[in-house]
Amino acid sequence: MKFSALFLLLVSLNASALAAESESAKLWLEQLSKSLRELNFTTSFVVVKNNQAEPYHWLHGIGENSQELEIFSRLNGPRRDILRQGDIVSYIEPEQESYSIISNHVQSPIPTIFRGDFSELEDNYRFISVGRSRVLGRVAQLVRIVAKDKYRFSYWLWLDQETGLLLKMAILTRQGLLLEQIQFTHIEVSEQLSESLVQFQSTELPEIIKLNNQLKNRVLAWKVDWLPQGFAVIKSNQHNLNSHNQGENKAVEFMLFSDGLVEISIYVNLSQENFRAPEYASDGATMVFNHIVQGIEVGIVGDIPLATAKKIAESIVPATRDNAINNVQRSVREQQDD
Amino acid sequence: MSEIKSESISSLVDNYSPSTDDSVSAHLIDNMIKDEHLSSTWQNYHLIGDVLRDEVPQSLQFDLSKTIADAIAQETTILSPKSSIQTSAQAIAKKTNLPSEDAFVQNTKTMPSTNAVIDATNRFKARVSSFVKPMGQVAIAASAAALMIVGVQHNVAENPSSITPSQVVQTMPLTGYANPVSFSLQSPQNESSKLQNQKALNEQLVAERVAQQRRLHALLKDHNQQVKLGSNIK
Repeated sequence: MKFSALFLLLVSLNASALAAESESAKLWLEQLSKSLRELNFTTSFVVVKNNQAEPYHWLHGIGENSQELEIFSRLNGPRRDILRQGDIVSYIEPEQESYSIISNHVQSPIPTIFRGDFSELEDNYRFISVGRSRVLGRVAQLVRIVAKDKYRFSYWLWLDQETGLLLKMAILTRQGLLLEQIQFTHIEVSEQLSESLVQFQSTELPEIIKLNNQLKNRVLAWKVDWLPQGFAVIKSNQHNLNSHNQGENKAVEFMLFSDGLVEISIYVNLSQENFRAPEYASDGATMVFNHIVQGIEVGIVGDIPLATAKKIAESIVPATRDNAINNVQRSVREQQDD
Repeated sequence: MSEIKSESISSLVDNYSPSTDDSVSAHLIDNMIKDEHLSSTWQNYHLIGDVLRDEVPQSLQFDLSKTIADAIAQETTILSPKSSIQTSAQAIAKKTNLPSEDAFVQNTKTMPSTNAVIDATNRFKARVSSFVKPMGQVAIAASAAALMIVGVQHNVAENPSSITPSQVVQTMPLTGYANPVSFSLQSPQNESSKLQNQKALNEQLVAERVAQQRRLHALLKDHNQQVKLGSNIK
């Protein structure tokens, strides 16, 4: 009796300690989000993945009318910049003409959710405050965003004790294998907007493109039977997949899912081949998976473990098989007519 | 008397004549050869000189000349000079327990700078050296021959590996080879067709790999693009 009481006491103490830990972790993450939205900062970081290091500049500031200004620019190789003025995000890339879109999402090495609301992640991830260490010559607070299930990766964030800004980030598997990391090499917070951002403020961004509405949100002829918990549809459409300058465009039906932190793309199309063994490659934490089963080609892309990608791919079934084939054939015909 | 003699011997060892008169030194040397005590003194002085000059050989063979003399004494006189040289060389090698070449070197060492004097005066030693010289030459010649044999064998052993592949390549087109028909006709064909198959397979694999890379890359690119274009469900 006594022992059980003691045990209960211990458990409750533990639980409260845990709760306190996750509470402080959440506070740290909220601080990060706030800092990323409100501070003027100039930083440099290096993305390390696939045995390669890619250096970036990252500037952020608050301009006139409290408009957020942000520049990501990759420093090696051809210019690849992301510019943001408020809701207008511009991508400057070597492959195509630069364009702008209105979006609250920025596809940069730093996940967009970091400046958003972390509580969206609480269903699927646990926040754990681990302790202090030294990163970039500063006192850093290590916070882990740990997946609750085995279908996702975990994120470790080292946050600046003083400003709450990101100093280092690592993406790890559940087994602790490091897949990708971002190491900041320079960080500077200032009261004033930096000179580059002052100039950027008066720069006109590329034209905002209109998304083709015709192919949007069509009812697709297949469905995904299984996804890890918490993934919701962001969009679905049909578009042509450009097979890397081959001129052969492949019509695919496409769905994009997100759990707030990670996006998963699913591509489905009919194939002339009846079967092709699963093939996959990983780009840092991003897994690319592809297979053909029963004449249906499925592609999965996202920052997820291989097992998850495989499981999703295997769960794809036609809404009804004949219907699916008809639908796809019709869509192909339509595209040919175009 | 003996002190004076020792002194004279000492100066002889140092390549000085004890007196200006040549006959004195000649007399001294004659005495030395006859008198065992004096000859051992002569030997000892040389040894001392060697030690002082730091020229002592690895192993000291004090009685080399004696061993050689014994070996010669045991030798039966054989008329054919060549074989006698050989046998005596073998005998010496056995007695001294040294490779014959070493014995030769050793001998010349124990006869240092005063070689000329000894050669002139000591016929016996001169004879020994004339014995030993050809013996050493024989030994050198023999070892050179051995080296040649080893070298040739080495070459022979080395060659086949570099030759055989080119042979395989050459025999492939020659189907009408003087081998059993069934064997010679089929194996090269098999070989070449196998090789071709392998090549085709490799090319196919590479093409497959490239196609796969292209597919996966296209997916990755499109994924990034779609994420950038953002959501249309809101």
